[in-house]
Amino acid sequence: MNRPTKLIIAFMLLLLPGVLNAQTKFSISGTIKDKKTGEALIGATVKVADKPALGTATNEYGFYSLTLPSGTYKLLVGYIGYKEQELTVSPEKKSGFDVALEPEETQLNTVTISSKVNMVTSAQMGMEKLDIKEINAVPVIFGERDVLKTIQLLPGVQSVSDGNSGFYVRGGAADQNLILLDDAVVYNPSHLLGFFSTFNSDAIKDVTLYKGTAPAQFGGRLSSVLDVKMNDGNDQSYHVSGGIGLIASKLEVEGPIQKDEGSFLVTARRTYADVFLKLSHDTTLKKSSLYFYDLNAKLNYKLGKKDRIYLSGYFGQDDLGLGGLFGLNYGNATGTLRWNHIFNDKLFSNTSLIYSDYDYNIGINTGGISANIQSIIRDWNLKEELEYFANPSNSIRFGFSSVYHTIEPGNITGSGITNSTQPDNHSLENAVYITDSWKASSRLNVDYGIRVSAFSVIGGANLYDLNPDGAVRDTIHAGNGQIEQTYVIPEPRASASYTLNDVSSLKLGYARNAQYMHLISNSTTTNPTDKWVGSDNNIKPEIADQGTLGYFHRFKNDDYELSAETYFKYMQHQIDYRDGANVFDNTPLDSKLLYGDGRSYGLELYFKKKVGRFTGWVSYTLSRSEIQILGVNNNDWYASRQDHTHDFSVVGIYKLNKKWTVSSDFVFYTGGAATFPSGKYEVNGQTVFYYTSRDGYRMPNYNRLDLSFTKQLKPHKKYTSELVYSLYNAYGRENPYIINFQQDPNDASKTQAVQYSLFRWVPSISYNFKF
Amino acid sequence: MRPNKIINLAFLILLLAAFSACKKVINVDLNSSSPRYVVQGNVTDVPGVYTVSITKTISFDQDNVFPTVSGAIVVITDVTAGVTDSFSETSPGCYTSHVLAGTPDHTYQLYVNAANNIFTASSTMPAHITLDSLYTQASRFGGTHPQLVPVYTDPPLVGINYHYYHFMEYKNDTASADVIVRNDALINGQVVKQPIGGDDLVSGDSVAVYLECIDSSVYQYYSTLNQTNNQNSATPANPLTNLTGGALGYFSAHTSSVRSLIVRP
Repeated sequence: MNRPTKLIIAFMLLLLPGVLNAQTKFSISGTIKDKKTGEALIGATVKVADKPALGTATNEYGFYSLTLPSGTYKLLVGYIGYKEQELTVSPEKKSGFDVALEPEETQLNTVTISSKVNMVTSAQMGMEKLDIKEINAVPVIFGERDVLKTIQLLPGVQSVSDGNSGFYVRGGAADQNLILLDDAVVYNPSHLLGFFSTFNSDAIKDVTLYKGTAPAQFGGRLSSVLDVKMNDGNDQSYHVSGGIGLIASKLEVEGPIQKDEGSFLVTARRTYADVFLKLSHDTTLKKSSLYFYDLNAKLNYKLGKKDRIYLSGYFGQDDLGLGGLFGLNYGNATGTLRWNHIFNDKLFSNTSLIYSDYDYNIGINTGGISANIQSIIRDWNLKEELEYFANPSNSIRFGFSSVYHTIEPGNITGSGITNSTQPDNHSLENAVYITDSWKASSRLNVDYGIRVSAFSVIGGANLYDLNPDGAVRDTIHAGNGQIEQTYVIPEPRASASYTLNDVSSLKLGYARNAQYMHLISNSTTTNPTDKWVGSDNNIKPEIADQGTLGYFHRFKNDDYELSAETYFKYMQHQIDYRDGANVFDNTPLDSKLLYGDGRSYGLELYFKKKVGRFTGWVSYTLSRSEIQILGVNNNDWYASRQDHTHDFSVVGIYKLNKKWTVSSDFVFYTGGAATFPSGKYEVNGQTVFYYTSRDGYRMPNYNRLDLSFTKQLKPHKKYTSELVYSLYNAYGRENPYIINFQQDPNDASKTQAVQYSLFRWVPSISYNFKF
Repeated sequence: MRPNKIINLAFLILLLAAFSACKKVINVDLNSSSPRYVVQGNVTDVPGVYTVSITKTISFDQDNVFPTVSGAIVVITDVTAGVTDSFSETSPGCYTSHVLAGTPDHTYQLYVNAANNIFTASSTMPAHITLDSLYTQASRFGGTHPQLVPVYTDPPLVGINYHYYHFMEYKNDTASADVIVRNDALINGQVVKQPIGGDDLVSGDSVAVYLECIDSSVYQYYSTLNQTNNQNSATPANPLTNLTGGALGYFSAHTSSVRSLIVRP
């Protein structure tokens, strides 16, 4: 038995005392849903009327379980924005614990936006929940509501570049975010070179971001988990909704398969930015394409009282083409088949089979050559999770996940060329975990657990033995299906909240995360052709250890919320390029990489007003992110591209009257580190720029103000609609997208720096409807 | 073939077309750098005088006047033939050969001693490949300027050995700023008719294209020089040189074959 296994057993034994001290108690369980739509409510609360401390909340599927000492109780079932309901329970009562909550009539001129978890008592740290209502209210570029751009306004989350859906969390790189759609990994979360996210906000129910502090059921990325859950679909009545915008249109259809038993949901979205290309005078541009579409679909059906089946899928595709000469197609496809089973009042099971695929295809047809470059990453994942509501003070989750990765690294085929194919890479990523939410006392809540992950490289593709300078010393031909190498990493996680009084608490947390899949990118922005690679004998798994300390405060009966969190994170085995590396040629990728460590620390302040005519938040992050790569900058620590010292966002949503809502956001951040030349020289009569260090300079500071006006149009019977006018970058700030250095075209003796900016005053209008 | 360059080009065109990008000259506060030596040496299979030039880097803000380095010792040895040639400084920073005769398959070694800074490099001249013809064609990327098509036959090679090519394009006796390199990894053994830049040719321009067969270290130099010039990686860096001792630049023993034309309407 190896050491990690021993650790897990010892750990499980530690959990036992809490589980075994059951007295004369009884348990009940049920599900809580929205009465109008039948959507399961995540995080709805169930409290004992005269003992509010005795209570629980629903899980991701609306399921709750409560164990109480013998007696008769009045329970209060509640959810923000819904009418509270009472429920009487006693040991004799055996059923009737499912509750359908009715939404509150929207009060005139008030809006409630909120996180559904009580952040003061919950032990969870570094977590942000976004309500879809908030996402819809925040102004965005092209009027296209976007989850990934809205989370960039939260503390500790930074944008990769202007208008881009890529993000950095607490100093981690963009590939260190685990982005899940109904538990399926989305390898490339963006469309159109990063300007749109793959998530159609109409299809989304719930968005949770964990900033490196996720519970043990999540793993595989260092910096964050973005857990996106799709709507289940209305199981009461049929509805159609949609939107027509300048850039994209979308349509959603949902309804019951059988009332109360099952429902379906289908959404589709298509952009038509390329219509503008047709207006161009350039013949090549006229024949070019630039669009994407995506489809979300979900079915769910109850098989009796204790079982429910879900089937959800996503398919998205981007198509970029340049007049038949060049084409780039890329897209994600995911599928999730899930089975919820209630064993008994205390044990809830969730079994999922998950498929996830990302591929790109480049076509080139020029100079008598027609070539095709294709690359695929594909996962099959089997996941089992059990939730055991042991007693009023312990609820335990445990389970496993087993992922089979296949990577087709980039095969080149075509006519007029020599085909170049490489064997597929296969690997297996397994994990077991157990975690306990323990109410240690009325003041102390502790979440603690461990995840043990294991990654096995499976033979078939070549492995390389490298010299220190990266040259291949030896090629190792591994047998097909044979396990070449296995990494096992225990990832302990713990966090605790100590309630100081009714309105404030202190929290402390620690988490370790391991990452086995890496995105090798050397471009300034999100590039669809960046390569995913698995760990192997040279590329070691990345490991991050993060410690956090926070203070949470709520005011005025939860109308306001304030939090301050500090973190320190140390990252091992970070990956960077050697100088001059080119990922597209067919020499081994391993020999082009350098490795080192990273560290990141910061303070995040967040103030939110959740209720009233005026809602919104202010967030500020002061942070530092540095890396040390062996072979770069004399092996010294230097600021990484994710290092934005100050990052400040304000979001305000104001309901003027019944008709009009105005919203606005403002963003400021310190420019990230960048590599600029420090000198120049001449080669073959041309000026060449001379670089002295990597990431030694800074981009200029970024700032931007966006505005949005939403007009609720007059409702007709069942038909409601709205018009949204928005203006991105309202004061037309020229934020740098790239800075290039060049010969001055007007003076041969001079060189100059040229800044390119993309978006100034981008207005948009869209029309949304629902019936 | 360089897909990443094509991709970047396509992206940029699409971006500029789709969104109203704006461009302006800005003032960036760049550090001054301490000067570094820049060595450039070429030996070709064309009989004549070969040159090695030595200059130094300057700071970004300075005018493009690159200081020459005089009084250096420059020696090139034909290792295959056992001939050593000590170069003479014929103009400031420019050193020329006396007896050297560049021959395919011969290996050449460069030795430079500039104020006790020693730089060395080695380069092997590949077999000669002739540029069969050169013509212009309408650009397939649109626009009014024609493209240049140099035609040559890539001899088939077995295994993972490649031919490496470097093109020098002169328009009205001015060298193009583009760095054009190719290997035959995907076009082994073919008659190659892939177009090259063209540099905004108009009717009446006189154009000369040199096809140079280079060795793998010089290929690496030029392709990384191209990356440096393109500035589209997140971390631009200096090109990978075959010189040892800390100098920038390169030393190349290559073949040379030229064709020229005058652009017709």
